[in-house]
Amino acid sequence: MDPSIFWRNVADVFHGMALSGHRRQLRSEAIELQDLFLLMCFMDLMGLPNPAALYLIDVHPYLVEEFHLWHRRMGMDRSPLATFSCC
Amino acid sequence: MRRLLDRRILFFGGKGGVGKTTCASAMALAASRAGKRVLLVSIDPAHSTSDIFEVPLASSEREILPGLVGLEIDAESEARRYLDEAKARLAGLFSPAVVREAARQIELTASMPGVADVAVFDRMSDLIVSRAGMYDLVVFDTAPTGHALRLLRLPELMSSWVEALARHRREASAAGAHLAAADGGQAPLVDPVLEILEARGARLSAVRAELARGDRVAFVLVLIPERLPIEESVRAAHQLADAGVTMGGVVVNRVLPDDAPGEYFRARKAQERVHLAEIERRLPSVRRVIVPQLESDVHGLASLERVSACLLADSAPGR
Repeated sequence: MDPSIFWRNVADVFHGMALSGHRRQLRSEAIELQDLFLLMCFMDLMGLPNPAALYLIDVHPYLVEEFHLWHRRMGMDRSPLATFSCC
Repeated sequence: MRRLLDRRILFFGGKGGVGKTTCASAMALAASRAGKRVLLVSIDPAHSTSDIFEVPLASSEREILPGLVGLEIDAESEARRYLDEAKARLAGLFSPAVVREAARQIELTASMPGVADVAVFDRMSDLIVSRAGMYDLVVFDTAPTGHALRLLRLPELMSSWVEALARHRREASAAGAHLAAADGGQAPLVDPVLEILEARGARLSAVRAELARGDRVAFVLVLIPERLPIEESVRAAHQLADAGVTMGGVVVNRVLPDDAPGEYFRARKAQERVHLAEIERRLPSVRRVIVPQLESDVHGLASLERVSACLLADSAPGR
């Protein structure tokens, strides 16, 4: 094998390893932030008082998808909230 | 208190039964007689503005006299209206399944504590923002003190909440965009959730800024010369200062005439003098006006005009 191709492949492997680590970190950060936001929006459904509840009813329908992804990610097949069913 | 006629927004508040509605109505009447376009809004659940003017009022504006328009805000129907409007907004935007689910959720929200207060606040904000050009003066006849003060603190509480939500949404979106870039994709350009939150936040800040304008907004405390209303008014004065709302003055309502005959009245008057001195001592730096106890109930225009005249008669602070 041409040594230059060999080294390029090695470089690609390292680059890929570094990038996937970076990507994993980015993903977990993004997910944590999204979950926090969801909690803040749905806290009234979990029995926590939310002064902005009335102002959030316009926002909730946009979050159905994110809420669905969240409970699937948490290992729950169905929505854990009786008051909010997305699937 | 004649100078208060030049404000844009006046709140009248005080303990239940001291004559808030009478004073707010008399002030609104005086302003309209001075040639201003006036909107009189009753937030008091015990709506008696209709009774004073002998004109039925509703949740939409209705002319009482030339230059004077009135409306009564009812908490429950306001909440109902807000929720129905929210449902209507959603109907065009989402699939029927989502709309059905959202409608169910909106009904749940309706039953939560505090929602009616926020709905009243929302209507009040709407009037403050959207009616500024239509009227020279908006007079709010508020619910008893504690409730009125909570209402005035809501913009602060709500805007810090909505701003925190918007900030978190921005952070989450930024993180999502980084991730999408690392994956070689593209993040969505418009986020409707953030747009809604930012629009709400902007309106809350506008209302908050308006209420803090001491040159345009004032709160008038109404009390009668008795011990409990005095205590409550002193507390309210402190809370108004905390909330950053300017105090426009104090109306001491139902003061007995000096020359009332008889032992009973002399004793009452002596007691009242003690309370009046107490009011001067404990609310020293605000303007005060005295409205005497009239021989009959305030009802209809003629007696209301007598109260108006008392309100406009000025007295310097500390008098």
